Amino acid sequence: MVIIVGVIVLIAVNIIVLSLNARRYSTLGLGRFAVSFTAPFQELATRTMRFSREVWRDYFYLVGVARENHGLRGRLDQAAEKNNQWRETELANARLRDLLNFQKTIIEQVVAAEVISRDPSAWFKTVIIDKGRADGVAKGLPVVMPRGIAGQVIEVSSHYSKVMLIIDRNSAVDALVQRTRARGIVKGESASWCRLQYVLRKNDVHIGDTIVSSGLDGVYPKGLRIGRVSELVDHDAEIFHEITVVPFVDFEKLEEVLVVVDRRKHDIASRR
Amino acid sequence: MIYFFYTAICLGLVIAQTAILSRLPVPGGFYDLLIPFIVYLGLLRPLRESLPFVIFLGLIVDSLSGSPFGLYLTVYFWLYVAVKGVTRLVQAPDRLLIAAMVVAAGVLAENLIFMGALVMAGPDRQIGAHTFGDIAIQGLWAFFTGPLFILFYKNAQKWMGNVFRAFYARREQG
Repeated sequence: MVIIVGVIVLIAVNIIVLSLNARRYSTLGLGRFAVSFTAPFQELATRTMRFSREVWRDYFYLVGVARENHGLRGRLDQAAEKNNQWRETELANARLRDLLNFQKTIIEQVVAAEVISRDPSAWFKTVIIDKGRADGVAKGLPVVMPRGIAGQVIEVSSHYSKVMLIIDRNSAVDALVQRTRARGIVKGESASWCRLQYVLRKNDVHIGDTIVSSGLDGVYPKGLRIGRVSELVDHDAEIFHEITVVPFVDFEKLEEVLVVVDRRKHDIASRR
Repeated sequence: MIYFFYTAICLGLVIAQTAILSRLPVPGGFYDLLIPFIVYLGLLRPLRESLPFVIFLGLIVDSLSGSPFGLYLTVYFWLYVAVKGVTRLVQAPDRLLIAAMVVAAGVLAENLIFMGALVMAGPDRQIGAHTFGDIAIQGLWAFFTGPLFILFYKNAQKWMGNVFRAFYARREQG
């Protein structure tokens, strides 16, 4: 009888503690220890895997490389011409920015980091990167890619950090539909897509629209690309659109990321 | 010695799961590799030796994951308790078929607890018909490969014990 009561009490305590922890991410300080303890080994395993893959690519695919090289030379000539056009456009853009006293959206200092491991569970989407407090990384900093937003730092040890990806169900990014400036929140779904919530039905949204960060959440720089609208459902009884967004970043192939370390500048930029 | 062995096994499993398996295209995803180890501890190791390690393991994996803190600890602890219960009911708990069934049940239970935790937190579109298919595939993987892991742990521990005994015997003689 005592054992049964003990088990019931233990289950009840367990459920209460879990539901409290589910509201706010916290590892009670153990995260730093665990990451510091395991990350060097994870880094070694990841680098060994990458090295093996590169050896395979470099030495066993040489036959295809010769053919590819020929094609690439042709494309390089085209790219050089395009590059020249872009440089002209960039110079014109810089002049116009100065003229209109525009504040550049990305003025932050970034730190490049490598992804060394992923979440042990397929239900949650976090990664560990090989940069930490010693490199200027702090909890809450945004993590971006040239293609778009990747996530946010949620745990930092001296040389490693844990990053929650925007596809994690606990992630939320204040966002805009680039074309119409309709505002919403991009929520992760712990799948390969996200959901854009709280966009009023009166706002015009189409499939294929690009979603960008608004900068209003105080975490992510303004104007960074998040993803593209892939599905749009409107229910008569609902006041919001039901929008599915496919992120531009391919999280399955995430290997390197950029951590925006100078958020102070970004905050000023967002407020302007 | 025994804790060194457990720590080395766990470190290897955590690295395999987070840095190697996560990059391989396994359909439906591979199951939690620590489950067979918890089952091994529950089936074949004494309570006083294994329980602290189960708790330690739960805390470590919780710290590495983005899950609500305590979720892995919950799964591992109750799985361990359930496996200890099985050892009371079953005459020969080290039989491979029993080990296979317990590992597969452990994997299914872990996924159900995770789903329960996600559903408790709010509606989740991640959970759909395909989820149950993925979980079933994981269960099958666990059923066929879980006993192999348990056999490996059993023999590795025996081998390591022999190596250490021989080492100390030689030192005492020398």
